[in-house]
Amino acid sequence: MTESIDGAESAGVLRPRPATGFASPAGDYYDGGIDLNRHLIPDRTSTFVMRVSGHSMAGAGAADGDELIVERARAPRDGNVVVAVLDGELVVRRLRIEAAGPVLQTEPLPPSPPVRTRVDGELDVWGVVTRSLHRL
Amino acid sequence: MSLGTEATTGHRFALVDVNNFYVSCERVFDPRLADRPVVVLSNNDGCVVARSAEAKELGIKTGTPWFQLAPEAERMNLVARSSNYELYGDMSARVMEVIGRFGAWQEVYSIDESFLGLPAAAEPAFAATARAVREAVRRLVGVPVCVGVAPSKTLAKFANHIAKHNGHLDGVCSLGSLPAADLERLAARLPVTEVWGVGARTGEKLAGQGIQSVADLAAADPARIRKKFSVNLQRTVLELRGTACIAPIDERADAHQIMFSRSFSTPVDTVAAMADVMTVYAQAAASRLSARGLQTAVVTAFAGTSRFAAGEASNPSVSVPLPEPTDDPIAIVRAAVAGLEARLVPGVRYVRAGVVLSGLTRAGAARQGEFDLFGTPDDDGAPAAGRDAQAAANLGSLLGDVKARFGQASIGLGAGGVQVPADWSMKRQYSSPKYTTEWKDLPVAKA
Repeated sequence: MTESIDGAESAGVLRPRPATGFASPAGDYYDGGIDLNRHLIPDRTSTFVMRVSGHSMAGAGAADGDELIVERARAPRDGNVVVAVLDGELVVRRLRIEAAGPVLQTEPLPPSPPVRTRVDGELDVWGVVTRSLHRL
Repeated sequence: MSLGTEATTGHRFALVDVNNFYVSCERVFDPRLADRPVVVLSNNDGCVVARSAEAKELGIKTGTPWFQLAPEAERMNLVARSSNYELYGDMSARVMEVIGRFGAWQEVYSIDESFLGLPAAAEPAFAATARAVREAVRRLVGVPVCVGVAPSKTLAKFANHIAKHNGHLDGVCSLGSLPAADLERLAARLPVTEVWGVGARTGEKLAGQGIQSVADLAAADPARIRKKFSVNLQRTVLELRGTACIAPIDERADAHQIMFSRSFSTPVDTVAAMADVMTVYAQAAASRLSARGLQTAVVTAFAGTSRFAAGEASNPSVSVPLPEPTDDPIAIVRAAVAGLEARLVPGVRYVRAGVVLSGLTRAGAARQGEFDLFGTPDDDGAPAAGRDAQAAANLGSLLGDVKARFGQASIGLGAGGVQVPADWSMKRQYSSPKYTTEWKDLPVAKA
């Protein structure tokens, strides 16, 4: 072995000697910081970010001004917080799938009561909300 | 000889395109636009460039100036949107990625259409894949697409046309699964100008030879077509018969230049302001160039006055040959700015300008520094100049990286880096928010 190496041979890794100075001992372990995109955006084609306007979902953790991660790839299920199309607007609601059909429900902070909207005809679910980014 | 009969086995081409792409993007985030006539306007809100099906039904034509439609808009329940290129670009990237998951290869053909390679399979599998593509794009991104599948690109375009205009097909047509009689009837009925690459003028000339319909062209003698017209039209005939012979766009001779040009919302009448414009446009062209892995040998810069303005007409254009092919934004900007500056007529009000890069070659050939970008090379000449060229290359890719992370206006050379858009930048009075590319513009969900 005539090649110059930096002592990493025992680890089974051959590295060219750096031009000057000492290699950082952390260099072998550093693989980039935490990448929020990787954790919050499972599929970049179908994940969107929206902003909440209003207070009727604060009880579900989606407060006025919060950003929501909305996934279109997920099939909406009973109990999901969803973005749905209601009267020409995008709204955030808790989805309840009941025997009589789907219901969109608000979830305000107590003591305000929830409001239930039964959907006649086909319910247009835009996406399923998977996270709320809440500023503290 | 009928359509596509020469290939009944083997791989297939799918042509996937988004219906009324710009309008469909707007509708994803604004449900009020559903079922309403919607048009999207060109740069500076000039004229109609995209129409919803409802707007087409109203008889609104592409290219209609907005000022003619505006007084009637309310009566027609018509909504106009300015071109929101940031939104369309982001949605296009999403659509293309989803489409690409379904093929063995993909050739993105334009912002809203893509060819897709489907490996050999039994005929029903092609239609099933086409339906899966349509369903996936609708569900994941939210826009409707049509899919045509056939043994050649030209036939895939034709199949796509059939899918689009026959409601019962639900946006999907694999040519091989159509009953032969239906296909023959369609090919005999549709004019030859519906064929991909056959324009109005060629159509007239063909009609003079008795070739009127798609079926007529498919039945024409390829050798004769080559002699009377061109090798390209001969390829079209072969493609209609099911023999794939059109090369990918990157390898074609017509991909020979990159242009970035715009009209201004307010005229530019000083040399300094035009230098700013050239700086911005040349960088935009340079970033397209490096995105495609190409180098340019000639930078052409041009400007023009309005065709309708009373004053002096001035349409300066200058081509600057570069000492060597390059993708270096600094060299390209310098050439564009210096080239045009000398040709401008002082005091004239210019309303449009552009930068064209031509003499394109693949990047990666050894750089031999002749640019003198960062001052005089060292005495030992070539190596130092080579190092400068390398430094310039690094700077070029850094600019690109920063823009990708922080947006177009985040960094640039000279005026290209201004934070506040200058007053000649585009007028977009009816623009929707940049829903998917700007944090402050996120779509709002009511709670």
